[in-house]
Amino acid sequence: MAGVVDVPQQIQTDAKIVVKAITSVFHLKKTRTEPAREFIALKEINLEVKKGEFLVLVGPSGCGKSTLLDILTGLAQPTSGAVYIDGNKVTGPALDRGIVLQGYALFPWRTVRQNVEFGLEIKKVPKRERRAISDNFIHLVGLDGFADRFPHELSGGMKQRVAIARALAYDPEVLLMDEPFAAVDAQTRESLQDELLRIWEATGKTILFVTHSIEEAVFLGDRVAVLTPNPGTLREIVKIDLPRPRHNSDTRSSAEFGWIRRKIWELLQNAPHESRHHLNAVPVAEAISPTASL
Amino acid sequence: MPTRAFVSPWSLSRWLDRSSLLLFFAAWELAPRAGGLLETFIAPPSVVLMTLWELLLSGELCDHVTISLGRAIAGFTGAALIALPLGFLLGGNFRTFERIVTPVLRFLGQVNPFSLFPLFIILFGISELSKEAMIFWVCIWPILFNTITGVKGIDPLLVKSARSMGTGVVPLFFKVILPAASPGIFTGLKMGAGTAFFMLIAAEMIGASCGLGWLVWNAQINFQIPKLFAATVVISVLGMILNMLLVTLERRLLGWLDSSPNH
Repeated sequence: MAGVVDVPQQIQTDAKIVVKAITSVFHLKKTRTEPAREFIALKEINLEVKKGEFLVLVGPSGCGKSTLLDILTGLAQPTSGAVYIDGNKVTGPALDRGIVLQGYALFPWRTVRQNVEFGLEIKKVPKRERRAISDNFIHLVGLDGFADRFPHELSGGMKQRVAIARALAYDPEVLLMDEPFAAVDAQTRESLQDELLRIWEATGKTILFVTHSIEEAVFLGDRVAVLTPNPGTLREIVKIDLPRPRHNSDTRSSAEFGWIRRKIWELLQNAPHESRHHLNAVPVAEAISPTASL
Repeated sequence: MPTRAFVSPWSLSRWLDRSSLLLFFAAWELAPRAGGLLETFIAPPSVVLMTLWELLLSGELCDHVTISLGRAIAGFTGAALIALPLGFLLGGNFRTFERIVTPVLRFLGQVNPFSLFPLFIILFGISELSKEAMIFWVCIWPILFNTITGVKGIDPLLVKSARSMGTGVVPLFFKVILPAASPGIFTGLKMGAGTAFFMLIAAEMIGASCGLGWLVWNAQINFQIPKLFAATVVISVLGMILNMLLVTLERRLLGWLDSSPNH
C-alpha cells in the first residue's frame, strides 16, 4: 500500500504477542454519492502479551476491539503498524493462533468430533491421530458422550465448548477469543468462565480475550487493557492482582474485585475528551455498565 | 436421532394407513363393471395389470421406460452441469453481476417451455435433442436460482472461522462452501428432477415416436384404453420411486439440518 511506512518482518522480543503502533482506518460512505468519510477504528495501539498470559481487552461496542482481533488473526490488515507473534510479523491466518468467535461458527453438517477435527484436517494430521486428539479435547471441555451429536442438538453453552475445543485441538500457542460468552445466559456464562480458566491453567496457552463486560474482564484476566472508542485508543492497562485459582463465588465477592471493577468502569466513563465531540457518540456509561455480564 | 419403533408391515395399523388406497383400487375395479360409459372409458386394474404384463413380456415397456429415463437424465444432468458452477459464480464471486443479470434470468425462467418446444423442434428436429433441450430448460432455472440463494445464504462466520484456521481456497470450497450451500442446491435439484419428469411426458406427447408420453398419446389415438391406463400407472409409479429416492437421499445428505422450529 502506498504511503505506509515499512515495518520490519522480525523484531527482537520476549513477548508472545507484540502489537506495534496499529492504526486502522476505514473509508465509509453513508450514501453512494457522498464522498468517503474516514473512520479511525484503531489509533496507535501498542500492546505486549507475555507467554502464557491471560490478557483481556475490554471496551464498549465501536471501540475497535473486534477489528484489532481480526488483525491479530490475520484476516484483516492494519492501515499502519504490525502484529508480531514470537517476533515474527503476522501476514495472514495460520494455525499458530486459535480463534473462538461469539457466534460459535460451528459447521452444522459436522458432528462435535468432526468440528473439533477441522483444523487437524487442514493441518493434514492422520486420521488415527486426529481421533486421539479430538477425544482428548472433547474430554477437556466436558463433552464426553456428545462426540457424535450435531451442533443443532446442543445448547449454546455446549456449542461454545465445542468451539473452544476446536480452537485448542490444533494446538495453537495463542488463543484469540472474540466475546465468546456474549450469547449465552448468565449462569452458563459464569460456568464457562470457570472452565476457561481451568483449561488455560491446564494448557498454558497465551489468551487474548475480548469482551464488553467489565465483570468478565476482571474475573478472567491477568491484565485488562481498556479501550475507548472514537477513535479506538488504548486508554490504560490495569493489572489484576486477584489470587489464582479464582473461583466464581469467592473472587467475585471480594473487596478487591469490586474495587478493580470500579476503577475500570471509571476509566471507561472518563473517556478522553475527543469522543465527547463525536457525532452520535453514545455516553460510554450507557454503552457499557459494570453489570454488563448480567 | 431416535430410532422408530418397529411396526410390522402387515399389522392392522399399517393396513389402516393404506385403507384409502385399497378403497380406491376396489372402486376402480368395480366401477367399470357397472356398465355404460364407465365400461367404455375406464379399464379396471385387473385388465390394466394384464396389459402391463403383456407390455413387459414383449419388451415394449422396458424400451419406453429406458428411453424416457434416458432423456430425463440427459436433460437434467446437462442442466445441473451448467447451473451449479454458474450458481456458485453468481452467488459467490460475482455478486454485483448477479444483481444485474437476475431480472433477465427471472424472465427467462418464466418462459413457458411449451411455447419454446416448437422452436426446439425447428432447431433440433423430432430428435432426442429437442426433448432433452426441453428438460434442460425446465431444470436449469430451479437449480440455478436455488444454488445462487444457497451460496448467498452461507453464514460468513463459518467462512471466517475456517479462514482463521488457514484453510486454503480448495479445502475451503469442498469443506465449507459446498456443504454450507448444499441445502439450497438440493432444493434446486429436487425441484428440477420433479419438473423434468413432469415435462418429459408432456414433451413426448407432443413430438416423439417413442417413450412413455408417446405410449399414452398413441394409446389414446388408437383408442387402446387399457394401454393408456397401463402407461399412466407406470408414469405414476416411476414418479413415486423418483420422489422416494430424493427423500432418502435428502435424509442421508442433509440429516444434520436442524428441522426444529425454534432455530
